[in-house]
Amino acid sequence: MTPIITAVLVLSALSGVLTLLLLVAEFFFANYGECTIDVNQGEKVLKVEGGASLLTSLAGQKLFLPSGCGGRGSCGTCKCRVLEGAGPLLPTEVPYLNDEEKKSDVRLSCQVKVRGDIKIEVPEELLSIKEFETVIESITDFTHDIKGLRFKLPEGETIKFKAGQFANLFSKPYEDVREETSRAYSISSAPSDNRAIELVIRYVPNGMVTTYVFKHLKEGDKVRLIGPFGEFFLRDTDREIVCIAGGSGLAPIRSIVLDMIDRGISNRKATFFFGAVSQRDLYYVEEFKAIEKEHPWFRFVPALSKDDSDHPYEKGIITEVVARNYGDMKELEAYLCGSPGMIDACVKVLTGKGMPEDRIYYDKFS
Amino acid sequence: MKQTPELDRIQEKMRPGVLTLKGFLGHDDRKLADILEVDHQTVQRLQLDTARIAACLQDLAERGADLMEQEVLVDNRYLIKVRDDRGKIPSPWGDGLFEKGDVDLIDQKTGKTLKWNRLTLRLLEAHGFFGGYGSEYRIDPEALVEILDPATITAQS
Repeated sequence: MTPIITAVLVLSALSGVLTLLLLVAEFFFANYGECTIDVNQGEKVLKVEGGASLLTSLAGQKLFLPSGCGGRGSCGTCKCRVLEGAGPLLPTEVPYLNDEEKKSDVRLSCQVKVRGDIKIEVPEELLSIKEFETVIESITDFTHDIKGLRFKLPEGETIKFKAGQFANLFSKPYEDVREETSRAYSISSAPSDNRAIELVIRYVPNGMVTTYVFKHLKEGDKVRLIGPFGEFFLRDTDREIVCIAGGSGLAPIRSIVLDMIDRGISNRKATFFFGAVSQRDLYYVEEFKAIEKEHPWFRFVPALSKDDSDHPYEKGIITEVVARNYGDMKELEAYLCGSPGMIDACVKVLTGKGMPEDRIYYDKFS
Repeated sequence: MKQTPELDRIQEKMRPGVLTLKGFLGHDDRKLADILEVDHQTVQRLQLDTARIAACLQDLAERGADLMEQEVLVDNRYLIKVRDDRGKIPSPWGDGLFEKGDVDLIDQKTGKTLKWNRLTLRLLEAHGFFGGYGSEYRIDPEALVEILDPATITAQS
């Protein structure tokens, strides 16, 4: 028994020493020099110092892939196709890739190291994503758990986005959180207001970024934002639209409605159903009521699910309110933003009333 | 159970501020291997079945879900509130991302409480991890048999 234990111990010690030597050697001697990252078949050719992760190298060149965990390999969102130069798929990537993605050379860019020339393919829209060092101009308490924040962009900079898209907000290290962390939030301001970005943020108990926003941020603080991201935006059709939101899901709908006003889109009827529990959960009501008064194509319908007080709003769960406001919905299109459960329930109601599923747009941030 | 380098790496991810604000271990300063071993022994002694515990808690979460996140009384005993947050939390074991959204349960019979989410259930079922002492997400096996019907969570013979 003893010789076996001794052999195992010796082997373990040897492999430990070898690993250590390899790490030391890589640290001191591995010099990958300048490497080239070819993006979208020569559309962009980036020269970077080898050795860092693909995600970091791209960010250093101001090409930002979406990332929810700051490159720690735990969110699985920083995917892109690596056509050449990535090396073999790593065990740390496998849980985040489906079979189709593995076949298509999709990789987690935070796990792929740039050790030579690499060819990658990213969605075209990612090339227009920018990083902003903003300053908080104002923080407004909208409800007991929702705040609105307005971030001023640096002098001379503007953001170009489609109403409905989102940005990533980065928290700085605080308390036990030792690294910068980011989360996605919908932009609530209009694209025409391009010198600033407004976000609506709901507090998530124990949320790493919302705790930072609610307990640490104050007006005048500097905050890093990256964006815009997302496929949730108003489609260019003539169809009547129905928007349904709850909580902080109001944000992208507000941006879409403000954008319709700016672009003079008055030929499409639009109704915005906003679901809340009671009056204390409502916000932006005055603004939407004013829009409704000024623009006949727009209707605002707040609905309260549990408020027996005397109020002028619709009563009931938002899906019930939508259902009783419409007959056949097959010619309409819908824009939804809220919790995953709310979205699922709305899709069921809308498709039940004849709306094709491919005309129901939403962003679950999942 | 031996504290392997792999368990060291997992335990590091369980620290507060790494994957979640408060981490997974509460005030528990034991090695992860010991945490897993002690709970494993309790589970064996009580003849609990982790898959059935996870299924039972998931069933309660589904029956306690409300579109407007209001409290729901289930089985005339459990007051349940389910938050439906957007986004996902990564598992410290690196085996996937799990939807956010906490479930808070108050057992009106015993006054005991439980808190969990989809990741808690995954860790419990796939890795036998019930949470460190003092973690608000700890699903204490001893408490479980008082809160839930033992017939639904013990191993079937």
